[in-house]
Amino acid sequence: MITFENVTKFYPPNTNALDNFSLEIKPGEFLSVVGQSGTGKTTMVKLLIGEEKATKGKILVGDWDITNVRPREIPYLRRQIGVIFQDFKLLPAKTLFENVAFAMQVCGHIPSKINLVVPQVLKLVGLEKKIWRYPNEVSGGEQQRAVIARALVHHPKILLADEPTGNLDSINAADIINLLEKINKFGTTVILVTHNKEIVNSLRRRVVTIDAGRVISDQKIGKYIL
Amino acid sequence: MILLSIARVLKFALQDFGRNFWVSLVTVTILVLSLFSVNFLVVVDYISQQAIKSVEEKIDLSLYLNADAAEEDISALKRELESVAGVVEVSYVSKAQALESFQSKNRDNQSLQEALREVGKNPLNPSLVVQAKELADYETVINSLDKLSKHTVIESKNFDDHRNLLQSMNTITARTRQIMLLVSFIFIAVTVLVVFNAVRIAIYTHRKEIGVMKLVGASNWFIRAPFLAEAILYSFLGVIAVIAIFYPFIHLLQPYLGSFLNTASVDLVGYFNGHFIIIFGVEFLGASLINIIASSIAVGKYVKV
Repeated sequence: MITFENVTKFYPPNTNALDNFSLEIKPGEFLSVVGQSGTGKTTMVKLLIGEEKATKGKILVGDWDITNVRPREIPYLRRQIGVIFQDFKLLPAKTLFENVAFAMQVCGHIPSKINLVVPQVLKLVGLEKKIWRYPNEVSGGEQQRAVIARALVHHPKILLADEPTGNLDSINAADIINLLEKINKFGTTVILVTHNKEIVNSLRRRVVTIDAGRVISDQKIGKYIL
Repeated sequence: MILLSIARVLKFALQDFGRNFWVSLVTVTILVLSLFSVNFLVVVDYISQQAIKSVEEKIDLSLYLNADAAEEDISALKRELESVAGVVEVSYVSKAQALESFQSKNRDNQSLQEALREVGKNPLNPSLVVQAKELADYETVINSLDKLSKHTVIESKNFDDHRNLLQSMNTITARTRQIMLLVSFIFIAVTVLVVFNAVRIAIYTHRKEIGVMKLVGASNWFIRAPFLAEAILYSFLGVIAVIAIFYPFIHLLQPYLGSFLNTASVDLVGYFNGHFIIIFGVEFLGASLINIIASSIAVGKYVKV
């Protein structure tokens, strides 16, 4: 599904955010990528969504070599990879429904499809009763659920969650992780980038540990080792 | 699907316009000033054309001939004049025609009429009246006429007044055009900067939407198009506003022009009505092109994919 082959990402003047980084992720996997701040986790995310380009090496998503993805291909790549960030990135002037619908509108979907799909995904994440609320009228956990709903509207094959629980209390964080597991059960590959030790240990899933831009540990049923 | 996308692009463009209303208003105002100066250039051009036409009608380069000039000599001179570059017509005015014209022009001047009667005979000489193709040709024609010394039938010729008038007209027209062109260029340059800044602010205001659009896979075209549409919207509103302002202006100007040029043929409003599509259509296209270039530079610089 996803392959990093000896990928190096160099930032001038002298930083290798990823250094000869190799990783293979199979379809339908739930993978936690852990590591301390500045070890290259976010660079890996940026490379996957085409926000940055690798200095060396090769990145494959399915059969698609995205190492040197062209700017006009990036939107299609991003429709296949749903992304969730710590800071939600919801539009405050739009309701939760409108926020999710916006993702479909800007990709050219017709209103009838939007009106059908948006309530479905919001129901899937447990927000069916709050679809007309604005982001500031719901909790952080609910905002993150709305973001997950937004990421799911394109039926992505991969869901990339970069510190999705970073701004949440432990109860809301657990809810979000449960939701990610539920999505994973539907067949979506989930990549959870985090440094939350409790969450990683409770998951009992594959854990890849990164340090100084390299994979230092890859355990099938892993623990947070740092 | 395409229509739906276009509708959404227009919706986002209108949102941009509304959210940054004051910036948009200033942008359109600057654009209106630019278009006003361009239209003023059109007015100046029209007035110069009318003034030149009016002068052309009044200028006749006359060669006064000896009273006893032989017909074949006159014909030979006429043929030679007709062959001069820039000359369109050479007409012969006989002694009788000259007298008739003189009397009719000075019908109200009793002392002149009295003097003519006292002389008892026709004191005027026959002449050849030369008309040039364009105002610019008169200079060349006058120079050619000055060289016609071998013809003994020519009694006198005096073109100095015409020469001065033509020179000053050409100078004034050219200078006015240069000034208006300079003013227009300054306004256009200011417009480019103002539109660039307006789009930059719109991008800044929309940065969250742009971020989300990129994140969820909106096409680059879809992200950028609202800003280009906004640039076209500025042009459209600018042209509409300049039409609304300029027509009352030329209505006010019209009567003064007629009396200034001493001709009834000046119809500025009619000219703008007759060339409405060309003048304002070209202005809309030109303004859109300039605004799209300014907007594209801003989008290219501030909206990274």
